[in-house]
Amino acid sequence: MARLKIENLYKAYGATKVLKGIDLEIEDGGFLVLVGPSGCGKSTLLNCIAGLEDVTSGDVIIGERSVTELHPSKRDIAMVFQSYALYPNMTVEKNISFGLEIRGMTKPDRIKAIEEVADMLQIRELLKRKPSQLSGGQRQRVAMGRALVRNPQVFLFDEPLSNLDAKLRVDMRTEIKRLHKRMGTTIVYVTHDQIEALTLATRIAVMKDGIVQQFGTPDQIYNDPVNMFVADFMGSPAMNLLPGKVVKKADGLMLSLDGHDGVMLLPVPLTDDLQARVGKRVIFGIRPEAFTDPQGADRESKQVEKRDCFVEVVEPAGSDTFAVVKLGGKSAVARLRADAHIVAETVTGLAFNMGKAVFFDPDSGERIK
Amino acid sequence: MSGATQDNALKGSGATRIIIYTVLILFMIFYLLPLYVMLTNSLKPLEEIRGGDMLALPKNWTIEPWRAAWSYAQIGVQPTGLKPYFINSIFMVVPAVLISTSLGALNGYVLTKWSFRGSDLVFGLLLLACFIPFQIVLIPMARILGILGLAGTTSGLVLVHTIYGLGFTTLFFRNYYAAFPTELVRAAQIDGAGFFQIFWRILAPSSAPIAVVTIIWQFTNVWNDFLFGVSFADFDSIPMTVALNNLVNSSTGVKEYNVHFAGAILAALPTLIVYIVSGRYFVRGLMAGAVKG
Ligand SMILES: Nc1ncnc2c1ncn2[C@@H]1O[C@H](COP(=O)(O)OP(=O)(O)OP(=O)(O)O)[C@@H](O)[C@H]1O
Ligand SMILES: [Mg+2]
Repeated sequence: MARLKIENLYKAYGATKVLKGIDLEIEDGGFLVLVGPSGCGKSTLLNCIAGLEDVTSGDVIIGERSVTELHPSKRDIAMVFQSYALYPNMTVEKNISFGLEIRGMTKPDRIKAIEEVADMLQIRELLKRKPSQLSGGQRQRVAMGRALVRNPQVFLFDEPLSNLDAKLRVDMRTEIKRLHKRMGTTIVYVTHDQIEALTLATRIAVMKDGIVQQFGTPDQIYNDPVNMFVADFMGSPAMNLLPGKVVKKADGLMLSLDGHDGVMLLPVPLTDDLQARVGKRVIFGIRPEAFTDPQGADRESKQVEKRDCFVEVVEPAGSDTFAVVKLGGKSAVARLRADAHIVAETVTGLAFNMGKAVFFDPDSGERIK
Repeated sequence: MSGATQDNALKGSGATRIIIYTVLILFMIFYLLPLYVMLTNSLKPLEEIRGGDMLALPKNWTIEPWRAAWSYAQIGVQPTGLKPYFINSIFMVVPAVLISTSLGALNGYVLTKWSFRGSDLVFGLLLLACFIPFQIVLIPMARILGILGLAGTTSGLVLVHTIYGLGFTTLFFRNYYAAFPTELVRAAQIDGAGFFQIFWRILAPSSAPIAVVTIIWQFTNVWNDFLFGVSFADFDSIPMTVALNNLVNSSTGVKEYNVHFAGAILAALPTLIVYIVSGRYFVRGLMAGAVKG
């Protein structure tokens, strides 16, 4: 177990720059999740940590030791690939013990190690099978077993659940979390899935075009995004990003939005940055769960504002009901309790939890605090 | 036959079926006729052949022509039969096939999984080697064999065939390994396996289909080669094909057609056997390559 540190890492394939100065650090036993849209360089970063790709410049440090120049097998890492990469010609048992055998562990020791891992992952009855005779979830387990048996300093996971169906994904997600709790090994985990990111991570790095947009705890990423990209990327349904304007009124600073019958005004905090923007356009960001029916609104929050809104569409979704509301010239999504009384094509009073509202510069996309 | 396999697209009526089988049977006869003629005539005494009917079955069955062709017929000036040359060919073909196939596999492995700057160029040049006509390399090759002191030896022929086959064997293995998941190689690297360990433990066990294709291809080509054999072989390294030619052309009086037929079948036998034994895998291997790209 060890901390992992990435310092000013650059990676280019010829003229294409894929990673542009990555700085990350994860404490011993931490769970770092890398998220970002397809092609942003997540796998490349993981491969650089593993040593499967040479870095162009920068440093990878595991524990106290720089491993940038070391061969993958010397870095004391184990990796689970998206395709699992199980050796097709070997049995499950052989797959798990291959690395140990190469490293010269004796047979009795290997058998002991295999059994330990097989029990932990409940794959004992699969040990004699070939990968082609396994289901997706079982293959996933075997791939994890192959990583676990090595007992490395750092685990690297590249989208390990993306080949599974929705239900199995949720199960395996819980299992990975349980394993992490139990083993306490540092993990770097790549995923497309923001729920996976938010549930598993102790730290999340949101990437875009080879640059880390924000690096922080799941709470920071979700509630305190540094820019519109992060706000929009994390959360499902996505945060509502509505164009508005800051105006000064007698009772303080207000946000003015296009409502269904003229301008809607919402009070905003009296910060310097917002004051500097009086009369200018801003993007108002509010998560669907902070925009809800008045009974469902957060009672702890002091800043709940009730306004009349025109509900266009109602989408019951089992545990919640989503309402699509015309606001600021866009369609905003409100998340209501399942039993909220709401009718489409009517004007209804909805609550804005302004304590959770965030603002962005419409041109740069940066956060206005 | 009907509905024997599920992926049978053909659900024709009786009439179509009859037409198809008729055509197929005609083709079969067309292709088998030469073999039939060779076989029957190799089992007749010479007088019967000269008597006329090539298509008739032997009246007096005899295996004497076979024994002659194998062990005492006149080849050039020596009455040795084809036996020593058959052995020459085996000593040439087996190493040439094994070496060129192994090197092709290694090349394919390097070109796909350890590609380096310029590896595409190297592959391009190797491919080009497939298309160089034999005749062009004859003189430079003779010179090189001379310099190496391998002129006229079986080792020299092995070298020539290995080099000439390398383009094809590399092509086969490269295309096959291109579809082999690179993540497996990476996983093995993390597991600590080295260059050859990865090749032996991970790639080689999955290479049977393409290895069969390559071996059949190389075996047939090297065994059937005449030009290199006639150009580079000395008296004691002459391969079967050249010896067969000498047998047929040793015109001391009468042409012993029955012996010639027997000799020709003997010369063709190894390739026939290779096809019959592993032809199924050949087709399967070609298809695997085709489907996976
Ligand atoms: N060998 C390579 N040569 C050139 N460009 C490459 C190479 N490998 C990756 N890239 C480029 O690097 C970028 C990042 O790729 P990477 O695989 O890291 O993306 P990713 O974030 O993992 O995407 P995904 O979520 O789809 O897996 C992509 O634009 C890709 O085209
Ligand atoms: Mg990826």
